[in-house]
Amino acid sequence: MDMYAVRTLRSQPLRLALTIGGVSLCIVLMFFLLGVYRGVADGSVEYIRRNDADLWVLQKNASNILRGSSLVSAAQADALASVRGVRSVSPVLFLLSTLKKEGKVRTIFLTGYEPEKGLGGPPQLVQGRTVRADGEIVLDRSFALKFGFKPGDEVDLQDYRLRVVGISRGTNAFVIQYAFVTLHFARTLIGFPGLATCFLVKTDRATGLNEVRGRIRSELPGLEVYDHPEFLANNIREMKSGFLPLLYTVAAIGAVVLTAILSLLLSVNILERRKDFAILKTLGSPMAFLWGLVVKQAMLIASISNVAALLVFFPLVQVIERITPEVSVESSVVQILGVAAAVEAMSLVSSLVSIRRLRRIYFLEAFA
Amino acid sequence: MNGINFSVPVVRLDRVTKTFNGSGPPTTAVREVSFEVRPGEMVLLLGPSGSGKTTLLTLIAGLAQPTTGTIFLFGKSVEDYPAAALQRIRAERVGFIFQTFLLIDSLTAAENIEMVLRFTGKRRAERSRKTRELLQDLGIEYLAGRFPRTMSQGEKQRVAIARAAANDGALIIADEPTGSLETKQGFDIIRLLHRQAKAHNAAVILASHDLRLKEFADRTLRLQDGTMANS
Repeated sequence: MDMYAVRTLRSQPLRLALTIGGVSLCIVLMFFLLGVYRGVADGSVEYIRRNDADLWVLQKNASNILRGSSLVSAAQADALASVRGVRSVSPVLFLLSTLKKEGKVRTIFLTGYEPEKGLGGPPQLVQGRTVRADGEIVLDRSFALKFGFKPGDEVDLQDYRLRVVGISRGTNAFVIQYAFVTLHFARTLIGFPGLATCFLVKTDRATGLNEVRGRIRSELPGLEVYDHPEFLANNIREMKSGFLPLLYTVAAIGAVVLTAILSLLLSVNILERRKDFAILKTLGSPMAFLWGLVVKQAMLIASISNVAALLVFFPLVQVIERITPEVSVESSVVQILGVAAAVEAMSLVSSLVSIRRLRRIYFLEAFA
Repeated sequence: MNGINFSVPVVRLDRVTKTFNGSGPPTTAVREVSFEVRPGEMVLLLGPSGSGKTTLLTLIAGLAQPTTGTIFLFGKSVEDYPAAALQRIRAERVGFIFQTFLLIDSLTAAENIEMVLRFTGKRRAERSRKTRELLQDLGIEYLAGRFPRTMSQGEKQRVAIARAAANDGALIIADEPTGSLETKQGFDIIRLLHRQAKAHNAAVILASHDLRLKEFADRTLRLQDGTMANS
């Protein structure tokens, strides 16, 4: 690294520290947003991703369970079970419901399923066991952490008292969390005994998946059938369409702020050192050399800020998750490297913005 | 090597005039000036403050364009050099010394000298060797790691001379190099500059208002209100 570039920055330690602080915070913001995105993405679709169903069957025109409504009946379940190639049909009922604790009401995404069939339950248990009978409930980990529930506790759901038997993971959709009860209990809550949101279908191995799918479509025209990858893709698309624009907007604001901070520092540095630059020009410095100095300064600040942001980010996430457990932040090496690379690129843009000032420094300023 | 061609003047000015057109009435800083400087020659441009010495130096270095007339640098009109070529000439064949030294504050003496050598495209090892050599020649090795703020005025100007001589150029342009120094210090500096220039056959154009510097010059040119009269 060029000593001139380094020493010029070091000559104003407070300004350098503030700049690195500002840039680091922007980077932390971007790490955080991407981490939240991944956390939400995982939490929103993990239930579907880890599900072993071969086919997802919903009401006609319904394509997902995140932002679509679907109602299917017990009669349709019987008809579906009779389709050749269908081995089992597991109805699942999704309901928005409320839990009460100490007079406070919490909303949950209640999932009623048939535990004995093994489909539609929590994707991963981190404590306890899954439900076996009515009167039992499995709660999401972040929900449980936030509201202080643990296995063995009792919770009130509408007029019923349930016992928490397990804590699940991969069930935090950020704005709401999944909870699991028996299908029978969920149906009791809404008062429609045969109702479900969708059917999870296992097929005979001997029969091709597409063949079974075709038969369901032709025999039950009021239903929509998706294989697992297609249904997962539908839900991911829904999740992204609702969440990504917001994420991109905030991340873009962070990037603009970062670029502005860096451009400002570099421009001030150039203005303060314009006599130095005039001398260097007079002494025969190529413009590329001067540009290089500014670019090196920008890259140096970006690199230090990246490291500072990384040092701050992980402890910060632990604090945030402790305070607000429903905020699930998942980071990957690829994500972090991507942000770091983007920051280096933005520092390059900042230096290009500042470099224009070099052109307005004249030789004769060295003689003034 | 500085590639000196002894048959060609390092600098030749042919009826050079420079007029500044600002917001007020036009000001002519240099009027119809003609002279030449040959390799190894030390020319003193003598004149009071405001006589046009600095303007003339900037014109010679190709840092500004004359309004009329022609300046030949190393045998070729300055106007015929593309900007990049002029930049290379300044980096490789011209050295500058300023009244207020104009060392880069955030660099040590050695780094100030080495910085100029970077513009010539020399490799790091060669730059270091040359810098050490210059500091030794000028008797200022002890300043190598020191920053300008810790040096006396005389020490700063010695470093500035080392910087001007670093590229082994054919021309050194010195603008009031003794202006910020006491008399004895000033004379020592000019002796040093003289010795350094003669050792490398570099031409020196020395602008000063100090008549006593005449004894070091091969030739003195007087400048008064932008007009030249030989002496």
